[in-house]
Amino acid sequence: MADEKSISVEVVYRGIFQKTLAQRICRSIVLASRKKGHTGTAFSRYGDSPERNGVPAKQFAIVAVDEIELEASMAKYEPAVVDISVAVDDTLVKGVESWAWYGRQPIWKPIREGGTLLVTSEKTPGEIVAQSDRTPKPYTLGIVPGGASFAGLWVYKDDHTDYRVLGALAKVAPRWLPLEAAKQAALDLAKGDRSAAASVQYGYDATVLRQVGAGEGTDGHEKLQFTKPGWTTMRPGIVVDARKPGQRNPQYKKYTARTQRPVVNFDTCIKCTMCWLDCPDECFEVTPEGHYEVVYEACIGCGICAQVCPVKDCIVMVDELKFADNRDRWQDWKKDRGAYNTWFEKVSGVPADPKAAAPASAAGGDD
Amino acid sequence: MAIDTALPQIKGVKDVPYEELFVSGHRTCQGCESALVMRHMVKASGPRTIVLGSTGCMYVANTTYYTTPWVVPWMHTQLGASGSAALGTAAGLKVLMRKGKLKNEKINVIAFCGDGGGADMGLGAISATLTHKEYDCLVLLYDNESYANTDIQLSSMTPYGAVTTFSPSGEKKRLMHTRWKKNVPGMLAAGHPESRYIAAGCAAYAVDLMNKIRRALELGGPTFVHTLDPCPKGWDYHPQYSQELGHLAVECGIWPLYEVVDGVCNLTGPTRQIAEGRKKRKPVIEYLRRQGRFAHFVDEDVEHFQAEVDKMWTDWLIPGVIPFTVPAKDQALLKIDRKPLHEQTKSA
Repeated sequence: MADEKSISVEVVYRGIFQKTLAQRICRSIVLASRKKGHTGTAFSRYGDSPERNGVPAKQFAIVAVDEIELEASMAKYEPAVVDISVAVDDTLVKGVESWAWYGRQPIWKPIREGGTLLVTSEKTPGEIVAQSDRTPKPYTLGIVPGGASFAGLWVYKDDHTDYRVLGALAKVAPRWLPLEAAKQAALDLAKGDRSAAASVQYGYDATVLRQVGAGEGTDGHEKLQFTKPGWTTMRPGIVVDARKPGQRNPQYKKYTARTQRPVVNFDTCIKCTMCWLDCPDECFEVTPEGHYEVVYEACIGCGICAQVCPVKDCIVMVDELKFADNRDRWQDWKKDRGAYNTWFEKVSGVPADPKAAAPASAAGGDD
Repeated sequence: MAIDTALPQIKGVKDVPYEELFVSGHRTCQGCESALVMRHMVKASGPRTIVLGSTGCMYVANTTYYTTPWVVPWMHTQLGASGSAALGTAAGLKVLMRKGKLKNEKINVIAFCGDGGGADMGLGAISATLTHKEYDCLVLLYDNESYANTDIQLSSMTPYGAVTTFSPSGEKKRLMHTRWKKNVPGMLAAGHPESRYIAAGCAAYAVDLMNKIRRALELGGPTFVHTLDPCPKGWDYHPQYSQELGHLAVECGIWPLYEVVDGVCNLTGPTRQIAEGRKKRKPVIEYLRRQGRFAHFVDEDVEHFQAEVDKMWTDWLIPGVIPFTVPAKDQALLKIDRKPLHEQTKSA
């Protein structure tokens, strides 16, 4: 691949939470490549705008040997194939569904055969592969150590995730981003702060690479693919049928926006309805006993239910990568409460029996 | 099957209708309070409702790319047109029923707009609609205090000092936006005495909000409900705190809850408790410090914000509602002879 004329990198990130982070990564890629006399451009995907908190979005950086090659390799809105994909939150490996009709796309989908997927994670490569879709093509998985860096639209959390990712990119694409150039770019961005260059070096040294062969991965995730309606099949006035009562929107499920999911302790539930009432995504359904179960196909993991629940540890938000599917859990509780509670304790890390818990506080909601 | 169109007041959370008329699968942010307003709005109004939506988050996020989460009929209308669309639809239904082309029954017409579509662009149309008392329609303004759909630009509802794309805090100038938020429900209530119902609500007080929507639809005529919706994207806080911020906006006295029914103003919820002295207002710093858009505030800014909110409670004619009063020497004006003209005795 020494005769490559250009390289394309995509950054897959959580909308709004990681918008600034993705911008900084893409910018630093271009800046670093310029140090070696290459040229490049960074841009965000049109379809993601307006971004929504948590909904997966993408930004891109394209680097080429000269302006002509850059223009030749520039994608219009979304490059169909990229050399390197960077997922700055490890729960994104469960799939990406950015808008209606998009479907749930495997994280490796745009990566070329033999390309690289970098994931910032505190998990092992094995755990990440186990949650990625079964791949038909081999690729290299790199784990950049560190949790997902989340911030807001106005206040950026400068925890050097961008520099560590830049270091990891220097490791997997040294021709385009030599380590020294990456350090120089980081120093420029950090206005001379030496610790930025140290973080680049750390990302370079600590990134763990693992080859993922064809056929590795899971089949557990839902296959969500659509045939898009063409203009000939749309109705005059672009009329769309209303949803039937009780139906959910089948063309956009939104659960890939989730980084954590609520897990319910049905034994301590007091049936107060607050989780159901305050859920902005209509994801709770009432059970015959009057409990509220989470429909994980609709839940986007905002955490409001856990906040408004008046019972301590009745609804607990748990890392999404601990779950392999969207199966509803109330059935399990109905079948065998003991087994359900054991499972609840295992995933949530809190005791299912409140009496076993440490001194009871008045209410959940504060952390 | 006959559908019951009566909209009795909801007594408590257990009395909230279970049926969802705005279903999951809308591309709103995690913790979107405006989506919750949409859900509560149609839950309260029931299935015999036509919803019209002007451009904004609740149009773009919910119904992009040939898909919809609405169970009730929904139609898009232009950015400043929610008032006109509500009035036109109500008038159209009335004519079709009079001509016998539609069964004569109660159909609720609700047009929603954001703060940009309602308080900036569409204010004139809403004002005009509220003077046409022969048509039954509700305009709902969901106020997330910015043009949130296009990534947070300044609107006339953006609070004092808040950061938006148009008002970034800089090194030379800390506050790029120093206007006080417009008092839309108070303005509309003061200016449209023939509208039978104008209210300010918040989805953090869900039952209160649903009852306001029901009362507006029950009373009929052109009505208006304004909701304050915490927006995790533009206000910059973790989505799980949406309800908490709604509660704080009310408890700090920044967003008073009230309704004006046939010209009589009732304070509701915690706002009533604060006015009656049963609850102490919280300091605004509790509200401000939870949001990234106020992260640049220094003590001086917080003090100014607090002083302005205090004024709403100490100086206004009706706390939080009518933003003026009479000078001290004219206090007698507030105690004028309130008898109708023919009963008034000739003053000395």
